[in-house]
Amino acid sequence: MELARLPISASQRGKLISAGYTSLSSLSSLSPSTLAQDLKISDNEALEILRVVSQGSRLDKPDGSHAIVNGAQTAWDMLHEEESLKCITTSCVDLDDILGGGIKCKEVTEIGGVPGIGKTQLGIQLAVNVQIPVYYGGLGGKAIYIDTEGSFMLERALQIAKACIEDMSGNSDFLQKDFQSCQVKAQPKDFLQNIFYFRVCSYTEQIAMINYLDKFISEHKDVNVVIIDSVTFHFRQDFDDLALRTRLLSGMALKLMKLAKKFSLAVVLLNQVTTKHTEGSFQLTLALGDSWSHSCTNRVILYWNGDERYAYIDKSPSLRSASAPYSVTGKGIRTATSKCKRIKIM
Amino acid sequence: MGSLKSLECEYPIIDSDFQNFCASHGIFSVEDILIHDLYMLVAFAEQQSTSERLKQGITQILSIIDGQHQPWLNGMELLEDAQQNKQVLSTGCEGIDMLLQGGLCVGHLTELVGPSSSGKTQICLKVASGVATRYMGGVVFIDTGNSFSPLRIAHFINQIPDTIFKEVKQNILEKVMSQILCHSVFDIFAMLDVVHQLEYSLRSQVQTGADQVRLLIVDSISSLITPILGGSGSHGRALMISAGFLLKKLAHEHNLAVVVTNHMVGGEGGILKPALGESWKSIPHVRLLLSRDPGSSICHMSILKHSYMASGRAARFMI
Repeated sequence: MELARLPISASQRGKLISAGYTSLSSLSSLSPSTLAQDLKISDNEALEILRVVSQGSRLDKPDGSHAIVNGAQTAWDMLHEEESLKCITTSCVDLDDILGGGIKCKEVTEIGGVPGIGKTQLGIQLAVNVQIPVYYGGLGGKAIYIDTEGSFMLERALQIAKACIEDMSGNSDFLQKDFQSCQVKAQPKDFLQNIFYFRVCSYTEQIAMINYLDKFISEHKDVNVVIIDSVTFHFRQDFDDLALRTRLLSGMALKLMKLAKKFSLAVVLLNQVTTKHTEGSFQLTLALGDSWSHSCTNRVILYWNGDERYAYIDKSPSLRSASAPYSVTGKGIRTATSKCKRIKIM
Repeated sequence: MGSLKSLECEYPIIDSDFQNFCASHGIFSVEDILIHDLYMLVAFAEQQSTSERLKQGITQILSIIDGQHQPWLNGMELLEDAQQNKQVLSTGCEGIDMLLQGGLCVGHLTELVGPSSSGKTQICLKVASGVATRYMGGVVFIDTGNSFSPLRIAHFINQIPDTIFKEVKQNILEKVMSQILCHSVFDIFAMLDVVHQLEYSLRSQVQTGADQVRLLIVDSISSLITPILGGSGSHGRALMISAGFLLKKLAHEHNLAVVVTNHMVGGEGGILKPALGESWKSIPHVRLLLSRDPGSSICHMSILKHSYMASGRAARFMI
């Protein structure tokens, strides 16, 4: 049934089939008023159906560019693009090393860990670091912070922004470049101004928010990172219909992937942990189940190793599995100062 | 096929007289003729004044219906087709090749199932780079999770031993990577559009030996289907099955190997089982289960289902 591949509602499809229209070609040369009369629907609905049909059948006709598939890119072109993609630094050298430079744009990164390990701290640090100007090696962009738990603290964000500015001006003394003309003395308040903060209180609000992001980011093209803290909170408690939860979560994951790809931004999802009972032992795994596990491009798990905080790359298409220590200081996330400074490669 | 009205321009015998006759019996489209009692219809036509024309009209419609099905093939023709067109594509990984007695079968839909981070995407990237290099064939990679990594592809290509190349490796890299096309899709309708477009261009373009598309990878098809499966209607399951059939048809008619990846969900007793349910189980020709020991790069693959090999065979290899 050719009509099955069109994104129209089930009732519209049923009406089309019972009126005898079963293929795209039978609908191609029809006027909206004839269709509206046949199906007994409004003219607008008929117009919408015909628009979808013409989009579908246009793909079957050859266009000038002899491409096998429209909109595809060759791996060679993507290689060059990937090399020029910037990363958002985490301000911790070891962490940046195992991440290949930092949190990559155009990808969805999931960061999970036990409570108190520093997920929100890392989220706030990234929201500040994305604003580092280009001539200091950053992206000079804005951040969207979607808060579901209410854990975003303004004073902490100010503190981290201040520390970031101090680090930048400290570094600029080493950079022998003449930036007097374009160097604006950045204030922590300016950093806060570039973080768009949204507070979400239920799962419907969360899904509505993500649907709205497309429009929002088209209007604010300089957003370079979307941080959702935490993506699990509203889906864990009181969700009776688990099948519905799976559907909603996988739909949400696809939308986030699409956002990341379309606007070339980094999406960072912060997740909680749960215990899983496997083969008689309890293991800590990320919440939301096995079906959520394929909805991110990279996964980083934060854990305690004795007294130190470690980050471990659990899943990535191009990064090796490795772990690195980091620390949470008054200035934000920083490199861990410990005796052993080598990164453990697994 | 559609309504009888739309056939009028191509087949003038289906004129308004014929259409009125059919309408009086409740027949408005070609499908209605299929389910109607034809002997009764012909008997009614005999009683009309223009019986000859009406009977010719009925015969015309029956011949249109006849033209819609695939031609009959006998066993010898199928064997010839299998020997000439349906070779086996090496995956580039010795362990998998030994397990599958050569590699991926052209014309078959192969499914890779495994829990998160078990190596499914890595195997897809490795197979893509292997096929593009060894057979100089085109590869179409449909990516749903932004996990196509050109750096990793370049890495795999550089790992392939030099004996296969006739030219210098640096020139090869650009040529081979230009054969691999990657398209990002984020919903099932977009994927169906891409597959239909591929089918159309394969049918209409004249393919030379070098550029012929040999491999189609969908990573991962389960993330496209999970949002629509279940719920109140069965439309999700219908889309899943029609997508599966479309991929199999593409593989068979155009001599491609198709690879899809699937994830796992919790089943009874906490044991993981492949996602997408019972209806999907019978669709792929070959199902391979992957797992990886945590912290190591050794993957374990076993055959869940295969057209001509026993299931349960397993292999270990490193990516």
